[in-house]
Amino acid sequence: MEDFEFLRHITLGQYLPGDSLVHRLDPRVKISVMLFMTVAITFNVSYLANIILLIVCLSFVLLSKIPLGYILSGVKPALPFIIVLAILQLLFYGDAFVPYGTESRTILRWGWVHVTSGSVQLVVVSTLRFLQLLFLASLLTNTTTISDLTSGMEAMLSPFSRVGLPGHELALVGAIALRFVPILAEQLEIIMKAQASRGADLGAKGRLRFIQTTRQMVALIVPLFIDAFRRAEDLILAMEARCYVGGRHRTKRVRFRFQRADYIAYVLVLLFSAAMVAFRNRMPF
Amino acid sequence: MSEGPIVRVENVTFVYNPGSENPTVALRNVDLTLYRGDYLVIVGHNGSGKSTLVKHLNALLLPTEGEVWVKGMDTRDPEHVLDIRRSVGMVFQNPDNQIVATVVEHDVAFGPENLGLPPEEVERRVEWALGVVGMLPHRDRASHLLSAGQKQRVAIAGVLAMKPDVIVLDESTAMLDPVGREEVLKTIRRLNREEGVTVVAVTHFMREAVEGNRVVVMEEGRIVMEGTPREVFSRVEELREMMLDVPQPTELSYELHKLRPDFPPDLLTVEEVVEEICRRGGGVR
Repeated sequence: MEDFEFLRHITLGQYLPGDSLVHRLDPRVKISVMLFMTVAITFNVSYLANIILLIVCLSFVLLSKIPLGYILSGVKPALPFIIVLAILQLLFYGDAFVPYGTESRTILRWGWVHVTSGSVQLVVVSTLRFLQLLFLASLLTNTTTISDLTSGMEAMLSPFSRVGLPGHELALVGAIALRFVPILAEQLEIIMKAQASRGADLGAKGRLRFIQTTRQMVALIVPLFIDAFRRAEDLILAMEARCYVGGRHRTKRVRFRFQRADYIAYVLVLLFSAAMVAFRNRMPF
Repeated sequence: MSEGPIVRVENVTFVYNPGSENPTVALRNVDLTLYRGDYLVIVGHNGSGKSTLVKHLNALLLPTEGEVWVKGMDTRDPEHVLDIRRSVGMVFQNPDNQIVATVVEHDVAFGPENLGLPPEEVERRVEWALGVVGMLPHRDRASHLLSAGQKQRVAIAGVLAMKPDVIVLDESTAMLDPVGREEVLKTIRRLNREEGVTVVAVTHFMREAVEGNRVVVMEEGRIVMEGTPREVFSRVEELREMMLDVPQPTELSYELHKLRPDFPPDLLTVEEVVEEICRRGGGVR
C-alpha cells in the first residue's frame, strides 16, 4: 500500500512553525522582499552578482533557522529536468547568449555542438538563479502560515480594488485552494486504492509505461474532479448560509502592523535590490 | 417567553427542476411551526424531503408554492435574505466541506466578518463561540488537523458566532464516529438548554430523535407524524410499516407491553426502562 501514500509527503509550501526573525516579519514585508529580490535576480547575469545574490539568499535561510537540507530536499524531484536542461543549454546555446561587454569564446565545436564561454556562464548562472529563487520561495512559504500569506496578499492588493481588482476575492480563492490540497490528496489516495482493488495496474512497469500510466490517469482524474465539484457545491452552500456576499461589506481586520524590524528589512532589501539592478553591467566578472 | 412562532412553514410544495422533462416533487403541502426554545428532530429515509425542508428555513431554497416566514420575514423577499440567514444558522453533513479557513479561529470569524461587525465584536464572539463548543484551547490550530468531531464543533461555533436564533443541523452527525457524535450531541444539548438556541436537527439515527422535545417524521415529501418523542415512538407498528427504526429501549418496552399490558409501551431511554423494571421488583419475568 505504500505505493499510494506518496501524497502525504508533499512538503511544498509547508509551514514550519518557529520563532526566528524571519518568522516574525510582517507577511507583506516578506512578499515585498521576495518581489524585490526576484527583480534583482532576473536583471543580473554576471557570475559575481549571482554569487552575491546567492550569499544573501543563504543568509536569509540562516536567519530563518530552517534547516538548509530541508529546503534543498525540495530540489530532488526536479533534479532530472534541471540536469537535462543544463546539458542542452551547455551544448546548443553557444551562439544564443553573449554576456554584456564580453566576447564569447568558443571552447568546443563539434557538429551541432557548440560550447562557448557564454553557454558555460548561462548554465552556471541559471543553476545559481534556480537555487536563489528556490530559497526565497521556500522561505516565504515555510515561515508564513497560509492565512497570513493570503491576508498579506489581500492587504497588498487592496489599494487596487478602486480600479476594480477584486483583492479580497483573489485572496480567498487562493486560501480555499490551499485549504483543499490535503483533502483532495487524501481523496486521490482513496480513489487510487479503490481502482487498484478492482484490478487497475497503477504501478505499471515496462517499455510502454508512459502510454499506460497516462491512460490510467483518466480513471483517477475524472472521479477526482467530480468529487472536487461536489465539495465546491457544498462549500458554496455553507458559505452562503454564513451570509457570504463578497468582500464589500466584510469586516476589515487589521491583522498586521509594521514593527521596527519590518521597516529595516524592507528598506535594506529595497536598497540592495536597487543597487544590484543599477550596477548590473559594472560587475568585474 | 411565549410569543409567536419563530418560523412558520405554510403549505410548502417544492419541485426540483420544474419545467424540465423529469421534475421531482420533494415537498408536498408541508406545514410546520417552530417555537423559540424548541429542539425539533426531523427523521425519515433518504429522499423523504427532510434536507429539502430545512434548506427552506434559511432561504437556501425558496418554495415553489406556499410560504416560509422567519421572524416575520418572507424568505422569498431578497431584501431579507441576509437577515434570515443570520437568524437561522446551518451546519452541514461533511465538516471538511464547510470550513473555509485554515486556522480554527479565522474560520469561526468568517461569519461575523461577513456581517461587517467591528473587529472587537468579532473577536469577542469568536472567543465566546469557541468557549461554548469547548474548542477554545484549539483556537490557533490548523483546521485540517482536527478530528471529525472537533471539526464539526468548529463548524457549529462558526454558525454560533453569528448569534442565530435557530441552528439547523442537516445530518451533522452522519459522518462522525460514535465518540465524535456524542461530542456534537452534547454540544447541541448545551446550546439548547443553556444558551436558549432553538434547534432543528435532521437525522436518521433514531437514538438522536429522543434528544428533542418534538419529533417530525417525513415520508415522500410529507410530514406523516408529529409530536413528542413519546407520542411518536409509541406508534411502533406504523413506524415499522415505514421501515423506520424505533429506539431500542422503546422497542423493548413495547415488546414487554405486549406480554404484560400494564407495562408502559413508550419508554424512551435505557434509564427509564431500568427504573421501570426495578420498580416492579423483577416482576416482569
